Amino acid sequence: MAKIEFRNVVKRFGAVEVIPDLNLVIEDGEFVALLGPSGCGKSTSLFMLAGIYVPSGGELLFDGHVVNEVETRDRNVGVVFQSYALYPHMSVRDNILFPLRFKKTPRDEALARVTAAADLVRVAELLDRRPSELSGGQQQRVALARALVKEPQLLLLDEPLSNLDASLRLSMRTEIKSLHAQLGVTTVLVTHDQIEATTMADRIICMRAGRIEQVGTPDDLYLRPSSLFVAGFIGSPPINLVAGEAEDGMVTVNGARFPVEGASGSLTVGLRPEHLRIGDTGFAGRIAQIEPMGREILYVVETGMGAVRVLEQGSSAGHSTGEQVKIGFLSENSLVFETERQKLIAGAHVREPV
Amino acid sequence: MAAQAINTASTAAFDRAADWDALAVRARAVRRTKAVVLYAFLIAVSLPIILPYFWLVTIAFSARAGVAETAVLWRSMAVIMPVVVAFWLTVALAQSRRQSWIGIAAVAAIGVFAFALLVGPDLHLGNFIFLWEPDFASVVRSRIGEVKGAVQFPNVWHAFANSILIAGAQTAIVVTVASLAAYYLSRFQFPGRSSMLRSLLVLHAFPVLTLIVPMFLMLYWIGLLDTLFGVILVLVAFELPFAIFIMKGFFDAVPWDIEMSALTDGASRRQAFVSVVLPQVRNGILAIAVFTFIRGWEEYIFVFTFLIRNSNWTMSLYMYWVRDDVMGVDYGVVSAVGVFYLVPSLILYMAAQRYLMQMSIGGVKG
Amino acid sequence: MTTIADELTIERRGHAGSVARRRTNFVIFLGPAIILTVLFFVVPVVIDVAVSFTDLSRSLRISEFTTEQYEKVFRTDRRLSQVIGLTFIYVFGTLAIFNVTFGLILAVATTAIRNASGSFFRGVWLLPRMSPSVLYILLWLWAVSPTEAGLINQVLMQAFGLDAPLDLLTSAPIALIIISNGFIGASMGMIIFTAAIRSIPEHLYHAAAVDGAGTFAKIRFITLPALRWPISFVTIYQTLSLLVSFEYILLLTKGGPFYDTTVYALYVYRRAFESGQYGYGAALALFLIVIGVVVALLGWRFFDMERLLQRPRIEVH
Repeated sequence: MAKIEFRNVVKRFGAVEVIPDLNLVIEDGEFVALLGPSGCGKSTSLFMLAGIYVPSGGELLFDGHVVNEVETRDRNVGVVFQSYALYPHMSVRDNILFPLRFKKTPRDEALARVTAAADLVRVAELLDRRPSELSGGQQQRVALARALVKEPQLLLLDEPLSNLDASLRLSMRTEIKSLHAQLGVTTVLVTHDQIEATTMADRIICMRAGRIEQVGTPDDLYLRPSSLFVAGFIGSPPINLVAGEAEDGMVTVNGARFPVEGASGSLTVGLRPEHLRIGDTGFAGRIAQIEPMGREILYVVETGMGAVRVLEQGSSAGHSTGEQVKIGFLSENSLVFETERQKLIAGAHVREPV
Repeated sequence: MAAQAINTASTAAFDRAADWDALAVRARAVRRTKAVVLYAFLIAVSLPIILPYFWLVTIAFSARAGVAETAVLWRSMAVIMPVVVAFWLTVALAQSRRQSWIGIAAVAAIGVFAFALLVGPDLHLGNFIFLWEPDFASVVRSRIGEVKGAVQFPNVWHAFANSILIAGAQTAIVVTVASLAAYYLSRFQFPGRSSMLRSLLVLHAFPVLTLIVPMFLMLYWIGLLDTLFGVILVLVAFELPFAIFIMKGFFDAVPWDIEMSALTDGASRRQAFVSVVLPQVRNGILAIAVFTFIRGWEEYIFVFTFLIRNSNWTMSLYMYWVRDDVMGVDYGVVSAVGVFYLVPSLILYMAAQRYLMQMSIGGVKG
Repeated sequence: MTTIADELTIERRGHAGSVARRRTNFVIFLGPAIILTVLFFVVPVVIDVAVSFTDLSRSLRISEFTTEQYEKVFRTDRRLSQVIGLTFIYVFGTLAIFNVTFGLILAVATTAIRNASGSFFRGVWLLPRMSPSVLYILLWLWAVSPTEAGLINQVLMQAFGLDAPLDLLTSAPIALIIISNGFIGASMGMIIFTAAIRSIPEHLYHAAAVDGAGTFAKIRFITLPALRWPISFVTIYQTLSLLVSFEYILLLTKGGPFYDTTVYALYVYRRAFESGQYGYGAALALFLIVIGVVVALLGWRFFDMERLLQRPRIEVH
């Protein structure tokens, strides 16, 4: 197992600088997720860990040793690629066996380990098939077995669930997490799906345009997003963000005025839909649209400061379209950002307008 | 438990944290060796090809008094090889785009200067005498004091016109006939369609060279031997199956929807073909046209066999006889004719190179 | 208001019209192609068969029908076995060394380096294919010229200290025809293999590297398995084209010295056009024609018949 460190790592492709300056430590045995929209440099970072890309500058360390130029095959990493990258002309057994071929593992031991790995991800009965005869979920498991069979010191997962259908994604999530618990191998997951990241990882590194926006536990990112970007990226349906001016302890957002504590100047107020409720107090609006989501109902409410999303528990709508309502919230759930720098103002909150 | 089996086996394998540095050193060495070996290999196998072509060009522009001068070749190679290597090094070593541009400009300037100094004085256009002097053979011979036995060459522009006529007519007919047939085979349902497609598949791979003997007799009996028209017909027929096959591929790729919408807009199928489908396969037509033209321009064996009179000579025959006759007398003129004959081919190939792949599958040359 | 009778006439006229249109369409679209194909493929084959049973010779007049040509092929022509043996050496030598192996090496090498450099080297290797045959062979004749001016002799004498110039055209003619054809043949393999290598998903190479494969293991386990189909395609097609083509040999050695480089196809040509034995040439050519058809049929395996024969989706004409 290994401790990973990025030290001022830069990556350029030709004249394009994808990663300007990356600093990050991943502890031994940790499960971290690199989360961000496409093109944010998360896959590039993963490929540098795998040795497929060579950093253009800075240092990449495994257990304190610079490995910038060490060849992929010497790094002993296991990778599950987005498209699984199974060798199409080999059986499942040969696919899983492939990494052991280059380790000069004795044939008997190798076969035993293939069986063990196949058991682990429950593909033992598929060993003689070709990848083209497998379903997406099965291919995924085989790719996992191939990555694990060589006992990697580092397991890299590149969008491993993005090609699966919704229900399979749910079960693979649980399985990968429990595999990590069993094996304890340092694992890096790359994903653009915040749910995947929050459900599986111990720690999330949220990236944007090649820079780290925030590092923290899923709770940190959800409850204390350090920037407008993270706040907007984490949470579904997305957070309501409204910009206004604070003066004399009141923020004015279009027509609405909120009492504010601990901040002044140009502010952006963030209110998560699930923290809002329709009730007797708060700001006024008219329900424009109702979207039942199964267990919850999403109301889109037209208010003085624009459309606001409100998420309410329950499967049947308690309100109807066109109804005039009031929207309230608890002060401690509100987030306040500096509009200019897009940063969270710690400890600042707004209250319901009275 | 499977998981435990995996875990216990692993611990021993990873006490190698210490050799990370050694691995990095090895990786750097391997990377470098690989690049050097690859480039060295490719340069080594490419030189035997570049050298003769380069020789042809240098002789054409520098030879005097008919001697195959290699001094100019070696001198210009001495300029060009270092320049090429310098280019590569600049691009490989440059840290930024700006640096590489400056480097390339500097190398180019030095290269041009060295070339002008070492090779420039030797360059001249005298070997292209055949372009303006129809009786160049006598001129060339009189230079070395030999007058007798000069072959009467036709004017080079005459051969040039014959080649253009053959290649052009062939191209026009092949493109027209092949587009019509390919469209019909691709888009119309009719009895016998599948057997026709199967025979097309056989024909497009069939080696036409095997028919040269009966074809010769046939042309002789119908009186088309030693006529350009006969040769054009034969070449058209031979190019046709291949052209139809390729064109069918292009027509197959046109979405049905646009044709259906043309029909619902009131067009007949013939009108839909002309106004909607044909514009979609413009690239295919261009590719077929260029390659058919090249084949006509380069054609040697059929024109050599079917055309006899020297007023019917094409560029390939002109080149052949110039080489056969002037050979050993004036390398300069032969090279100049060669450059004159080669350049149109190269230009056309460059223009159509992105279709080369499609044309290679099924093409029977080489 | 239209009566039923009216509607019937309209329908019948429509039907008749559609049949007529069907016919004109067929004639307009397929007519020229069919005429040309029949005239220049079917008729020559028939002529070839017919002529092979005559004594047609230089006078181009048929005096009798005979099976004498086939007797010659199977019994009396002593030279034929030598010609066939040479043909085998030439076809398989060129194919094995250049068209497949060297084409493959070029494709692998040029795709392993930077794209711009790779295209440059591929461009160089395409030069022979892009040159007209007469010119390409002219360069060969100059390169192997037996005098001191020949390019190869110059290099050998100046750089390697050879004493007297070599005459490769007489001393190694078979090697020469193999190499000169191979330079052209290698580029076809190169193009097709390059395209095939390009279409291998890059993540397979990444996965192999992660799994511990080095350069050669990647070629063996990823590249070669993906090239199985293109390799057999090139093999079959190039066998056929090498078997029937003689253009470069005719230009380079004229089949000589004597008959040393006369492959089967060139032998047919020389018998017919040099010796004027058109009947005998036709008989010899018939075997090539048969081989041509057989190999072309073999080529079927390489085409997606389903796609080729896909039914048109518009039914009207």
